[in-house]
Amino acid sequence: MTIAPSTDLDAIRAAIAPGSERDVALYPIDGVEPAGAFEPATREDLATLLRIASEQRLAVVPQGSRTALALGRPLAAYDLAVDLGGLRRTVEYVPDDLTVTVEAGRRLGALQAELAEHGQYLPIDPPPSDDVTIGGLLATARPGAWRGYVPAARDLILGMEVALPSGERIRSGGRVVKNVTGYDMHRMHTGALGAFGVIVEASFKIAPLPEASRTLAATTPNLEAATALALRLWDASPALRALTVLTPSAAALVGLTEQPTVILELAGTTRTVARSAADLRAVAPLTEASSEAWTTLRATHGDSERTVLRAGVPPTATRAILDEYERAGAVAWSHLAAGAVIGTFEVAPASVTVIALREASERLGGFLQIESAPAPLRHEVPSTPGDAVLAEALRDRFDPERTINRGRWGAIL
Amino acid sequence: MPTNALIRDLQSALGSSNVIHEPEDLSVYEYDATIERALPDVVVFPATSEDVAAAVRIAIKHDVPVVPRGSGTGLSGGAVPIRGGVLIVLTRMNAILEIDPDNRVAVVQPGVINLHLQTALAEYGLLYAPDPSSQRVCTIGGNVANNSGGPHTLAHGSTVNHILALEVVLPDGRLVRLGSRVPDAPGIDLRGLLVGSEGTLGIVTEATLRLVRQPPAVRTLLAIFESVADASEAVSAVIRRGVIPVAMEMLDQEIIRIVEPRIHAGYPLDAGAVLLIEVEGVSDGVAADSAIVEEACRDAGAREVRSADEAAERERLWEGRKAAIGAIGGAAPAFYLLDGVVPRTKLPEVMTRVLELCREYGFACANVFHAGDGNLHPNIMFDPTIPGATERVLDLGGAIMRACVDAGGSITGEHGIGLEKRSYMEWVFSEVDLEAMRAVREAFGPSDRFNPCKMLPGGHGCASGHASEVTAHLGAGAYV
Repeated sequence: MTIAPSTDLDAIRAAIAPGSERDVALYPIDGVEPAGAFEPATREDLATLLRIASEQRLAVVPQGSRTALALGRPLAAYDLAVDLGGLRRTVEYVPDDLTVTVEAGRRLGALQAELAEHGQYLPIDPPPSDDVTIGGLLATARPGAWRGYVPAARDLILGMEVALPSGERIRSGGRVVKNVTGYDMHRMHTGALGAFGVIVEASFKIAPLPEASRTLAATTPNLEAATALALRLWDASPALRALTVLTPSAAALVGLTEQPTVILELAGTTRTVARSAADLRAVAPLTEASSEAWTTLRATHGDSERTVLRAGVPPTATRAILDEYERAGAVAWSHLAAGAVIGTFEVAPASVTVIALREASERLGGFLQIESAPAPLRHEVPSTPGDAVLAEALRDRFDPERTINRGRWGAIL
Repeated sequence: MPTNALIRDLQSALGSSNVIHEPEDLSVYEYDATIERALPDVVVFPATSEDVAAAVRIAIKHDVPVVPRGSGTGLSGGAVPIRGGVLIVLTRMNAILEIDPDNRVAVVQPGVINLHLQTALAEYGLLYAPDPSSQRVCTIGGNVANNSGGPHTLAHGSTVNHILALEVVLPDGRLVRLGSRVPDAPGIDLRGLLVGSEGTLGIVTEATLRLVRQPPAVRTLLAIFESVADASEAVSAVIRRGVIPVAMEMLDQEIIRIVEPRIHAGYPLDAGAVLLIEVEGVSDGVAADSAIVEEACRDAGAREVRSADEAAERERLWEGRKAAIGAIGGAAPAFYLLDGVVPRTKLPEVMTRVLELCREYGFACANVFHAGDGNLHPNIMFDPTIPGATERVLDLGGAIMRACVDAGGSITGEHGIGLEKRSYMEWVFSEVDLEAMRAVREAFGPSDRFNPCKMLPGGHGCASGHASEVTAHLGAGAYV
């Protein structure tokens, strides 16, 4: 890993507002500290920093709440940490339009608190908690428990502004809830780990905050029965917001009896939730459970101290992956409707195990992503960006010097 | 002449019966549902993904443009082969390849008609949410290319929210798969970028769709207002009370008077406007939501709110909405359908402005649109045989789009940019933004290969002016 000499940073120090520099010790990644760290106070400063870094061929790693730094391949270089915390304003919030525009460094929790004052929310629950930033959750695109029932974050984006390594800032979309004006450039940036620029602002379609929510759970004799029950419940009620199959170890993790369990959340008007709970109890032995279970699952999914795998397979195939995870020693669960199967390991499994799990998911028509793992495992089981030819052609045009997150998607990207 | 060699190559790859090139045959494919027209050099009818890839590779070899086409119902000139070349008509690829009800997934070829899919899904109690008003005719491939919406976009989102994976032929002739059978595939969301790219980045040869279960209960409400302004206020009033109906459609007096005598949907002829509102969910929830919607409408000045729970009754109310655009065809020699979008709360002021502009320009205008999404569809009625009328209508269209942009909105909510609105892109985006979009296009292949002169302003050999200049170039008689 190359580290820029500190003198290379003088051009940046001179070009952006004084007081933006931060202590590099606060920004280690995989045990490496960068040569410099900055927290730009404006998007103009951020763009300037990117331009100078690009001109000097420095490697920049944008950071929000630093909760997903063990996602993607180990970095090839790390010269500069860029903390997005300085860009944390809500730019525009129009409750009657159900739209909000925020800067990328705003924490999801701060935004949710603001929206809640008007009885609204952004209906996403990315791991590990509401501590994540808007830019971070978009760049990493990790789904939470609600995902089978609510749109992905990328589907809630109305428009976006992105700072490019050229120093330019580009906009796509707008602030209206339905818009097909030009390419949906913002889709290219979600899940891209910064490959094509640093997200500085996003506009979202938001939703009314449910008046009530309730968590119910049912224990079952085995995982097969649990999955069969979940498949029956999948869309049994329009009020469902989460439906998860827990392996015994996952049930224990969330404080339930150590048995295969189906846990679900209903959300909506008080009347709808009550009616739905009654309807579902008529077909399954559901009892009240604590909503804390969701917080625990979410935090564990996003625990960067653990090795965390996320497979995506057709819902009917989730049990097969749960079985594989259990055999490999994982605490595992599946968010059934989205086909998301999460496996978390206290001790990183061998790379052959992860490769076998990935192949099993792919055979079922799905995929497997390492959400978090020690660097050697991420090196041995590399993540891929999708079609490599297109990814490289796009990266060549948007970040020719590989300024942002160099190596995250592999040597060429 | 390269065209003869091109035709021979296409015939040998796809079979002679799947290639047409006689001028009288080609003229069937010179238009879509907009104003512009242009003849392709040759039209091919592929049967498989490999056929599409082969046709693209032949077009590359002969260095001619490629334009994909479904049913030709597009409303922005997207399927018009403005620079000739090979028109790939995908209507033969109309197989529903798979319905996996257990996993709520369907795999279809691009030529499948939207409504045919809905019919096939109904027996499983499932549906594919996007329901553009042209769903009886339009294809899934066209829906993907345009990121089509429809009345139910309000709750369910546009096409992109329902596409899991795509098989696509790229401008370099490669056949690739983007996305996965399962949502939230890791990596760069090229699937999402492809949807709505209007045939400029790739030709869809197969689509994997997300399905949803039909709701247990649905109620359709008809709220009757004295004015468009009151109805517009009601739209925000409903949302403000925390209810998001699955659809909230407005019809103004002009359109009611056109539709009702023909369709007998039950819209009162003396109403200033009606809102067609649909709520769905569990029966108790539907009842509660309907009560809130009704109260909001009455507070905003509704003189009456009717409701329908039975399928036949609901369908009758919807029939007036779905048949509205077609009915205009019987009421005026021609009409120009616009597609502006504004923040929902700006609806009252923008609708007032739209009606003012129509009066200023001296044209009758019928409005039927997705009010809940702030997605306007003014239909300007005119007689194209009157000299200068077409040009004035296009100017009026520009003025209305400008009003939408000035209100914080945009120039298309669901019909696309195509040829028609290319020159208005600069009202919405800076040159730097447009340059980035061009960079995306170039990353996929040369910009003059797939659907040249569409979506982005400029481009080699493309007309640079407004749509009206294109029309002037095409001459009189070019109208809807």
